[in-house]
Amino acid sequence: MTAPLVNATVQLRHGRRSAADARMALDSMTATLLRRSVARELEQSSSVISMTDLGMTYPNGKVALSDVNVSIAPGDFVFLVGPSGAGKTTFIRLLIREHVPTTGSVIVAGRDLARMRRRHIPALRRRIGIVFQDFRLLPNKSVYENVAFALEVTGSSRAEIRRRVPQLLNLVGLHEHGQHLPTQLSGGEQQRTAIARALVHDPAILIADEPTGNLDPVTSWEIIQLLIQINELGTTVLMATHNQEIVNAMRRRVLALENGALIRDELGAAYEREY
Amino acid sequence: MPFLRFIGFAVVRAWQGFWRNAMMSLAATATVILMLVLLAGLFIVISGLNSGLAFIESKVAVTAQLADNVTPAQRNSLIADVEAMPGVSRVDYVSPGAAMIRLQKTYAERGQRLDLGGAPIKLFASIEISLSDADQAGAVGEALGGRSEVARIITKQAEYDKLLGVIGLVRTVGLVAVGLVALTVLFMIINTIRIAVYSRANEIEIMRLVGASDSFIRWPFILEGILCGLIGAIITVMLVAIVWDPIQPAMVRVFQMPTAVSARFLTTVSLLVLSVGLGVGALGSWISVRSYLSAAH
Repeated sequence: MTAPLVNATVQLRHGRRSAADARMALDSMTATLLRRSVARELEQSSSVISMTDLGMTYPNGKVALSDVNVSIAPGDFVFLVGPSGAGKTTFIRLLIREHVPTTGSVIVAGRDLARMRRRHIPALRRRIGIVFQDFRLLPNKSVYENVAFALEVTGSSRAEIRRRVPQLLNLVGLHEHGQHLPTQLSGGEQQRTAIARALVHDPAILIADEPTGNLDPVTSWEIIQLLIQINELGTTVLMATHNQEIVNAMRRRVLALENGALIRDELGAAYEREY
Repeated sequence: MPFLRFIGFAVVRAWQGFWRNAMMSLAATATVILMLVLLAGLFIVISGLNSGLAFIESKVAVTAQLADNVTPAQRNSLIADVEAMPGVSRVDYVSPGAAMIRLQKTYAERGQRLDLGGAPIKLFASIEISLSDADQAGAVGEALGGRSEVARIITKQAEYDKLLGVIGLVRTVGLVAVGLVALTVLFMIINTIRIAVYSRANEIEIMRLVGASDSFIRWPFILEGILCGLIGAIITVMLVAIVWDPIQPAMVRVFQMPTAVSARFLTTVSLLVLSVGLGVGALGSWISVRSYLSAAH
């Protein structure tokens, strides 16, 4: 980017170029910088997730993430892979503003999380749905109540709850299990309930943290099919996983973390590097 | 509407939480009752004594209670002697009957009827001496002390000092006791709510993840603490209302003076009990929830 200016300076020093030439080179470089800046802003504004020079160091000194630059467009389906301790959990916690980065910035759905005030966090989290390996359902509430709970605690009206919950249970294929308790459901059905709950606010992003970790292979694929369906409806899906078979079969964008660094950001990729 | 929905949500959740954690909630409520009964009792006693103080204030400077066997002639002679003393402006004789009528009148002025429950209260005949010079109270008292017709001398100052001393002692001991019990109540409520919060940690975690605001997380627990205080306060007010009438003559017997307080005072005590109950409940639960949520963030 600075090469024209360096060249012009060197040539000027050796008397090979005039001051006018140097000024032209400078103007050219400024224009390039401006174009790149605009391009970057456009890229960020068109991203649903944007991490720039992101670093996260815990108070005990452990560096969880360093120098991460990622941009995810709306509607993407992205796998986040890496060994345990690579920084996947920190990555996710930064996205839902459980942690604040120590350096760099995280912009999610147009909001700069590093500068976000605490009172704005609930609004952010309504733009992000999240599901976990262990489902995190309330055992004393039925499937319907588990989904309705997410609406109730965010101030939705009863009419809204009555309208929205059946829609979501239909979407995840649990319309006939609404009155069942989680203990009466299979693992896959519990995960579907968790997904329905994550979608109550029609989020821009669905984060799935090892959603198939507790499921058998067949059920895992059913959950993946559901995530694909949700993605096709326009929701960006970010899925952290150790499941090589699924990543290799899907051939989607893969972000690979290792020791807190983003070592690979590849489209149509496999779990492991293939070159 | 959203605000009403929030209130409805918080109240229902607080009620469910109270009964879900029933043993701890009821234990906390019992300590609230103990504290509020102590507080109400202290307030009633101090107010009664203050009322007695006001009564004394209205009395004459020196009162000489007469011996039982004083004849009318001796009494008239005594009155004549006192009237001749320097600094004395007026001397009034108060018969036992007049003293009783005066006591009943004092009660009537405060909207109550003197009901001693059949207890034999003996009122003395006395002479009440008004002074043109308050400094003469000691000299008049000393002069009357040597007379055989006089059983007891009561000067305003002595009564004042005595009563102020009693009020001060009661207030100090009472406030220390109430303060200690209040601290216990506060810790009970903090613990009760903390247990409630920890037992619902999963629920709180889910609420935070789905974007519930702090108010939706915090207020059900705060209301649960307030509920402990409110139930405790209502029971205390009922107890005070039940014992209100019987304690009036008891106070007269104990303090040997008209300590009666206005019937409107019951309303004041009820408001005090309710506000302290609600306040302690709210404070305890607020401290508990605040520390948990701060740690969670």
